[in-house]
Amino acid sequence: MTDCVMEAKHVYKTYCVKGEKRKDVKVIEAVKDVSLQIRKGDIKLIFGPSGSGKSTFLRCMAMLDIPDKGDIYLGDQSLTAKGVDLNKARARIGFVFQHIYLFRHLTALGNVELALRQVLKLPKEEARKRAIAALEEVKLTDCIKKYPSQMSGGQAQRVGIARAIARKPDIILLDEPTSALDPELTGEVIDTLRDLAHEGTTMLIVSHEMPFAKEVAEEMIFYDEGHVVETGPPSLFFNAPNTDRAKQFMTRIINRTTRE
Amino acid sequence: MDVWQQLFNLLEGVPLTLSISIISFLVGIALGLPLAFTRIYEKEISFAVDLYEKIFRGIPEIVLMLLFFFGLGTFFPLPFGSAFFVACFVLGLRSGANQSQIYRGAIRGVGDEQMIAGQSIGLSKWRSIWHIMVPQVFTFSTPGLGSEYALLIKDSAYVYVLSGLLEITTRANQIRQSTGDFITPYIFGALIYIAITFPIAYSLDRWGNRRKKKIGL
Ligand SMILES: Nc1ncnc2c1ncn2[C@@H]1O[C@H](COP(=O)(O)OP(=O)(O)OP(=O)(O)O)[C@@H](O)[C@H]1O
Ligand SMILES: [Mg+2]
Repeated sequence: MTDCVMEAKHVYKTYCVKGEKRKDVKVIEAVKDVSLQIRKGDIKLIFGPSGSGKSTFLRCMAMLDIPDKGDIYLGDQSLTAKGVDLNKARARIGFVFQHIYLFRHLTALGNVELALRQVLKLPKEEARKRAIAALEEVKLTDCIKKYPSQMSGGQAQRVGIARAIARKPDIILLDEPTSALDPELTGEVIDTLRDLAHEGTTMLIVSHEMPFAKEVAEEMIFYDEGHVVETGPPSLFFNAPNTDRAKQFMTRIINRTTRE
Repeated sequence: MDVWQQLFNLLEGVPLTLSISIISFLVGIALGLPLAFTRIYEKEISFAVDLYEKIFRGIPEIVLMLLFFFGLGTFFPLPFGSAFFVACFVLGLRSGANQSQIYRGAIRGVGDEQMIAGQSIGLSKWRSIWHIMVPQVFTFSTPGLGSEYALLIKDSAYVYVLSGLLEITTRANQIRQSTGDFITPYIFGALIYIAITFPIAYSLDRWGNRRKKKIGL
């Protein structure tokens, strides 16, 4: 019996990409030996340079990408074992995408309802009630009938969050939920995430929103070149990180934020 | 037979032309959709889909109709002895091959992200396809689907090589034989084909454009 909601043990993922010439094959080690434990109510934040493999790792956690090596656990259940019903497992993991990926042919309500109806198999009335409740939680009751193309980026991402939380998953994985949004729209999404944090939602978030991180994260994970470089509470990173790379990165990020 | 009688005679062939083309179109959807998804998402068996497409896109449908009707029909009068069945069978299979290709382009246009999003909420691969991809794929396919339907209406004329299907072209031939007038029946026929092709292809396109707007493309 573990008390972890989710756990990653020595996860590896490489991609082979074709190079310029036909026979060239480039191997990209996007995730190299990453381990991570998340307990109920934890909020952990992954940050690090672009292209370092943060999204890949998050996708591996949800088994949307299958790790080459290593294990992913959801509670006591290994998701990397053979013959696991991954669809059932994913129903218990909420995922929020950087580029939102709402179902374009469905309204806000339809986006949130789909999993409730088709995955949890709730009766129509009940699914509708819960979908509306989730949309209320992200303060979006006024555009439940709108299609994604008719929403602002901030509204769309909040629908994305509602879609992830409506089925009450054990954990929510968020991949840079605000980085595709205009600066003036990030606020509303961060507010939503703050509300979730205060309700005790278990979350693993990839983000570079530093004030938000400082406020809600128990632990920050600095990730570079496919692995975890340094881990610690926000106070560590904001005062004096141990590694030079983390120090440099923090300086860059803080300068950028103050400049804006 | 005066010209009006000729025209009415030809018009009586319209329901048959329409039913052959509509049934073939539906058969084409029923085959083309799953085949397109199989070709993209079930890589191990996609070669079989490829082979099917090559066969039915490569052999003239008139040859296939003759082969099935006179060849197989001799040995298996049920169902290949029925000209109507053979017409829908051949045109449906051919359309399935065409539609598979149309849908494949559309699936790429919809994008893999939508599949991943579907799986992220706990839907299986094939259920993501059904609930998320299929509705969008139709929208993305519309200009192509309209022309495919127009093609089926035109190709339904090939059934004049099978006996006993009194659609537009067969009737035009009969009128020519009985009256010796080899201009009027064909001109009328041509006009009727245009009259039934345009509205259908046009409304399909309009439907698609409206949906595309809603989806935001
Ligand atoms: N499906 C894929 N196929 C091939 N290479 C990939 C794939 N996904 C990611 N990569 C490569 O793996 C590396 C890590 O990518 P990833 O998107 O995980 O980084 P990231 O840390 O999330 O970056 P960003 O901050 O820009 O989102 C990159 O070099 C990327 O090009
Ligand atoms: Mg990323």
